[in-house]
Amino acid sequence: MKKNFLSKYFPLLLMLLVVAACEPKVDEFKATPGSADFSKYVSLGNSLTAGYADGALYTSGQSYSYANIIAGQLAYAGGGDFVQPVVTNEDGLLAGKMKLGIATNCLGVSSLGPVPAGGSPTGLPGAVTPVGYAVNNFGVPGAKSYHLVAPGFGDPAGLFTVPQTANPYFVRFASSATTSVVADAMAANPTFFSLWIGNNDVLVYSTSGGAGDVITSQDLFTGALNGIINTMTAGGAKGVVANIPDVTSIPFFNTIPYNGLVLTEQAQVDALNQAYGSGLLGISFQLGQNPFVIADATSPNGVGIRQLKAGELVLLTLPQDSIRCGGWGSQKPIPGFYILDEAEVGAVKAATSGFNNTLKSLAESKGLAFVDANAFMAEAKSGLVYDGMKFSVTYVTGGIFSLDGVHLTPRGNAIVANHFIEAINEKYGATIPLVNVGDYPGIVFP
Amino acid sequence: MRKSIVLLAILALVAGYTFAGGYQVGLHGQKQIGMGLIGTSLSLDASSMFYNPGGLSFMKPSFSFAAGISPIRSFTTFTKTAPSAYNATTDNPLGTPFYFYGAAKITDKLSAGLAVNTPYGNSLSWGNSWDGRYLIQELSLRAIFFQPTLSYKINDMIAIGAGLVYATGKFDLTKALPVTGANGDGSVNLSGSTAELGFNAGVMVKPTEALSIGVDFRSKVMMDVEGADATFTVPASLAGNFPASNKVTTTLPLPANLDLGVSYQINEDLMIGLGLNYVFWSVYDSLIFDFETNTPALPDSRNPRQYDNKLIVRLGGEYTISDKLAVRAGGYYDPSPVNKEFFSPETPSLNNLGLTLGLSYMPVEKLSIDLSFLYIMGMEGERQYTPDNFGGTYESRVYIPGFGLTYNF
Repeated sequence: MKKNFLSKYFPLLLMLLVVAACEPKVDEFKATPGSADFSKYVSLGNSLTAGYADGALYTSGQSYSYANIIAGQLAYAGGGDFVQPVVTNEDGLLAGKMKLGIATNCLGVSSLGPVPAGGSPTGLPGAVTPVGYAVNNFGVPGAKSYHLVAPGFGDPAGLFTVPQTANPYFVRFASSATTSVVADAMAANPTFFSLWIGNNDVLVYSTSGGAGDVITSQDLFTGALNGIINTMTAGGAKGVVANIPDVTSIPFFNTIPYNGLVLTEQAQVDALNQAYGSGLLGISFQLGQNPFVIADATSPNGVGIRQLKAGELVLLTLPQDSIRCGGWGSQKPIPGFYILDEAEVGAVKAATSGFNNTLKSLAESKGLAFVDANAFMAEAKSGLVYDGMKFSVTYVTGGIFSLDGVHLTPRGNAIVANHFIEAINEKYGATIPLVNVGDYPGIVFP
Repeated sequence: MRKSIVLLAILALVAGYTFAGGYQVGLHGQKQIGMGLIGTSLSLDASSMFYNPGGLSFMKPSFSFAAGISPIRSFTTFTKTAPSAYNATTDNPLGTPFYFYGAAKITDKLSAGLAVNTPYGNSLSWGNSWDGRYLIQELSLRAIFFQPTLSYKINDMIAIGAGLVYATGKFDLTKALPVTGANGDGSVNLSGSTAELGFNAGVMVKPTEALSIGVDFRSKVMMDVEGADATFTVPASLAGNFPASNKVTTTLPLPANLDLGVSYQINEDLMIGLGLNYVFWSVYDSLIFDFETNTPALPDSRNPRQYDNKLIVRLGGEYTISDKLAVRAGGYYDPSPVNKEFFSPETPSLNNLGLTLGLSYMPVEKLSIDLSFLYIMGMEGERQYTPDNFGGTYESRVYIPGFGLTYNF
């Protein structure tokens, strides 16, 4: 009986199995909002929030803003549409976009580096044409903390006052001439908001070499932040707040080393030493790397010239051909506005620390999720790895910062968006999926 | 002449394959596959040359030929570490391991033969755009072993045998590089081949008519590939960092195996057997790519693997229904040799549970048509490749129907 049964059905069973081959089933990921409601998300901030990159605000850069990336993920857990004030110009709203290209320097040497992207940026006055629709992304390039609560920040007339009281980017989507960024953001009736502001309160000072701006006072900053957060949470909205990364760690300040004057011939060394009084001014040179000579009215030798010290920062905007062929940093001092000196670095760090204390305590007191962007920046300094991609804060090759050395690449934005999402998940018990960093472009090499 | 043509035709079919722990493949005889891949204590036919050369001289016929193929359909799924909505499934090409054995009794005590088979391989494709593309996109490993074998029966209770292994191997690996050009990611392809030597030696003991015990050792083979092609596709401005026609030297170790098998003929119809298969995987410590021309962007790459030695436990049996038909069943547990923290999607080897069925149909006395089916469940597990910060949950399913012929006379 058994033998008969087996001989009949065993071969059949074998054939059936061969046909049944199929792949394992994967369960779909189920996102949950936790105790938050993402149906109406608005983002507030500055150029980082707007999706500014490579020295300009342009169409694809906006689509890769960290706010837009977050909104895309919130959609897995009840998030609605996220409208950005789209710049319909890949060359930029205002001029300034850079790309990687081959540039020839004053010595006739060609190398890969940032060059003007060219094209046809919209430019003024076309750039301030109102978009004509309500937006979710209230990121305004150039905005400082107190700008977000300033009425008239989107008033076209304010573009031409001295000093300027309006911002061209906000003029594009302000609902009226008298409104403020926060007022418009509240008018959208958000259920959830993100806020990353304060960078420019120290950055504009820093990128002007401490010469063209002042750091926002702690009182003004605290007042502005209280105003923003109290307003945004008044209607019961939940949100996420990020602190300010140490701006002195960004490539803008760390690409040209303080001792970037390279001398290769003894004759050069001797001539320079002689010219500076053979050491009497505290300025000396040797073969190899030397600290640049800069202008500093308060130099200890009393002649308004000194050499840079370790820890002092040279701005990325320093014209390199003036170093190579114009005698800058050796025969002539580099102007102070290309340098963030020891005292200026100290002032920036102190202000950043104070602002970050305010941001953290406000987020805590209002029960908001908190992103430690400063800690992330510190981690990035020692290198990051995601899915086989290596990142660092190195200019161009580091992959996080775009060609302007200040703003993020799409991949940099994706990493930041994931930090926001992690903070939201932790605070509100949500399970918003992270994005794959590799889904976003890096710096494009020619 | 005819035989060599058949052999060439089979060789032409060969693609890579993977299924057992790591990149070891155990598909070397349809009868053994049907019984949970036991074989060390069996002396069924010429296939003993692989499973235990000692068993060859215990085979009854004067001449034995066996050939077969086992097309592998395998799927591995990857679900990225939560919270993530990302998942991917491999689109592996059909793998076709094969074997060919020919053996003859020279005297009653001495037998000789040649085994050609494919004990190691891997054929994997995750696609060009998947999230782990900077670790691996496609990989093909193929090793073909040629093993001339001698076996000597000392007496009716004990026989020994050994074979020299001439192993040929080929590899071809493609992965994306995280440098973006106008056309997207850059990529690198590494491909090369080599031939190395090893050995296979075993002892078979039959203390009683019904009981059979076998021990077999197959040496490791270090596949040293020198001067393999390293072809980089990168944006023009980075060409200097990735020399276009670079060369690379690497070593892929094929681990040693120590097998112990015991089988018992319970009655005329029923035989059962147990196999223990210890694989010396710890030889696979790192995968090193030593490039002929290094640049600041292209240092030599040392990728930790840190495999562990593993014991595979197998159980199987055969039930003879009639002179013309025998059926088989078996199963095994094959724990993953891959370190959970160094689990690369290039060899997504999980803890495997294998279930097998098989049958032989003998239309005439000398010829046996052998069929088998192996189903492998790669048990769901969370794995990381820490150096690249890439991880998630992997799961796999493998379906291997096998077809073979045995001709004894």
